[in-house]
Amino acid sequence: MAKQTDPETLSWISRKLLWVDKPGSADKLFKILAIVCALLFLSEFTFHKHVIVAVENIPGFYGIFGFVMFTALILVAKMLRTIIKRREDYYAPKAIDSEEYPQADTERLDHDA
Amino acid sequence: MMPEQFPIAFLFIIAGLIVAFIPQGRGRVSFTMLVPIFAAWMIWNLQPGVYGQVEFFGLPMEMMRVDKLSTIFGLVFCLASFIGNLYAWHVRDTVQQVAALLYAGSAIGAVFAGDLVTLFIYWEGTALASVFLIWARRTEGAYYTGLRYLIIQVGSGVILLAGIVLLHGETGSITFEKMTLGSLATWLIFLAFGIKCAFPLLHNWLQDSYPAATITGTVILSAFTTKLAVYALARGFPGTEILIYIGAVMTLFPIFFAEIENDLRRVLAYSLNNQLGFMVVGIGIGTELSLNGTAAHAFAHILYKGLLFMSVGAVMYRTGTSKASELGGLYRTMPITAICCLVGAASISAFPLFSGFVSKSLILDASASNGYTLVWIALVFASAGVLSHSGIKIPFFAFFAHDSGKRPKEAPIHMLIAMVFTAFLCIFIGVFPEPLYALLPYPVDFQPYTTSHVVGQLQLLLFALLAFCVLMRTGIHPPEIRAINLDSDWTYRKFAPMVITKIAAIFSSVWTYQTTFWLGTFDRIVEGFYHSHGPEGRIARVWPTGAMVLWIAILLAGTLLVSFY
Repeated sequence: MAKQTDPETLSWISRKLLWVDKPGSADKLFKILAIVCALLFLSEFTFHKHVIVAVENIPGFYGIFGFVMFTALILVAKMLRTIIKRREDYYAPKAIDSEEYPQADTERLDHDA
Repeated sequence: MMPEQFPIAFLFIIAGLIVAFIPQGRGRVSFTMLVPIFAAWMIWNLQPGVYGQVEFFGLPMEMMRVDKLSTIFGLVFCLASFIGNLYAWHVRDTVQQVAALLYAGSAIGAVFAGDLVTLFIYWEGTALASVFLIWARRTEGAYYTGLRYLIIQVGSGVILLAGIVLLHGETGSITFEKMTLGSLATWLIFLAFGIKCAFPLLHNWLQDSYPAATITGTVILSAFTTKLAVYALARGFPGTEILIYIGAVMTLFPIFFAEIENDLRRVLAYSLNNQLGFMVVGIGIGTELSLNGTAAHAFAHILYKGLLFMSVGAVMYRTGTSKASELGGLYRTMPITAICCLVGAASISAFPLFSGFVSKSLILDASASNGYTLVWIALVFASAGVLSHSGIKIPFFAFFAHDSGKRPKEAPIHMLIAMVFTAFLCIFIGVFPEPLYALLPYPVDFQPYTTSHVVGQLQLLLFALLAFCVLMRTGIHPPEIRAINLDSDWTYRKFAPMVITKIAAIFSSVWTYQTTFWLGTFDRIVEGFYHSHGPEGRIARVWPTGAMVLWIAILLAGTLLVSFY
């Protein structure tokens, strides 16, 4: 459904940002991120860590903790959704969830309008 | 009157009254922006002390208590009011313009209140003024949401008043100072603060109402009510241990809900709740370091949260929706909004060089160095959670992710100015924390930019980001879908009405059965008598005419006897 937009009409910032949509860019970003993470892990051995809590002494504690807990969070949230998900109009008409936002309060202009 | 004797809140209230008489247009909007600038200048020049003392029904009221804690909140409220009114430059709605000024004024008045009665008056003021920012949406859903919001907010005020009355009975004083939990009075005041601060299970009003306000209304709402409650807790209950655990729970539970919420403004409301948790932990620890952390975090938070609400609001202004399932790929035509949103996301996620990093570190450090290891673990986990919903989800699903095909025009210029200005402040505070630290209530001896801090934080965030990429590429990450999720407000929005309807139905059917039964029985008895004693009845056959004459004679004799004696 991707709509083709003439890059010439976009601002220079957008044209720079368009790089992220090029095929292969996502893979590149992912690789860069993985390398940066690896470097961050290794960098721990180059300086004396100032720790307050004992667990901080584990090499790469923050990295491991961040990776594992983030994954756990997503998985738990995904399970939670199966229990608490409801239709958008569940509370209607006494809630805004299934309402359209009033047109008059917006100025819905298209980029090339 | 000396300038310091003049309550800052009155400035906003008078301006709120004047504004309706200025012709609608740029002049009026400029006026609404000048008021907070002038107020900030006045606050900046205030000397610490207590001003504006008046007697009110024999109670000594202190309208202006100026110290570092009240000043920093007063200043950031002026800043938020200025940014909010700038962002609302296009709005030509008197209701919202007046409400925004009165709301900011009430919040500032409450922050400078030296006694509990003044606090109560402004406390209710924030409730009454702010609800109009929800009702200004002018839809049926917003009307009901506003009612729910108002009931809870005013309820908080009523509980506060009850607490104040009891406290006055106990101690004979209404001064707003540090309290210790113990008596019913202090518990009631604590509960009232807790409702406005969105403690777990008292939080639903926040996620319910903020997505229901107008685009500009939500930006303004996000700044005041909850941070006023944080201020009140920091003033009234510093070092109250239970707050540490309440705060830790507050940082944790919203991250799960935020992860699966579709409406990005509600995601931000959950995220706001989570950020309040960090501040509450800081209050609970109660050391100089942690209270500094709370004040700094409140200041930084008002800015980056406002920035995030502004960027999602700008998307809504152009597309009419804030639902992640309907958005995506907007960076092409709204690049400046996208970049501002990324700055807000980096700030709330506490990336080094952004404002969240220099403020949250104070609280994390305080929790670790005071021996609350489990709480510290919870806060670190919650920090990764913040990254997931505010750091990644908001910018990614609005501006990147799959292409929604929407090609909206970039946000209007005044919104861009408001966002770029706020984004600048977020980065400035992150790079140069000293000016913010100088405003904090206690002297700061803290260095956020140590190698350990920076590397630790970057590891946490970037490995979490790596986890996100892995989950996206493997398709495990939950997709954005059009749906809502139940929260504990289900109990009073669905369950309680259902129970009440059921009970009412049972009562009404029992009542109907009873009345039909007794009326039927009565009818049958009367019919029975009529059948036997009526003119057509069996007994009537033996009625001689003489019997009637006899009975009349007896009746007359009876009357005669009665009148004799």
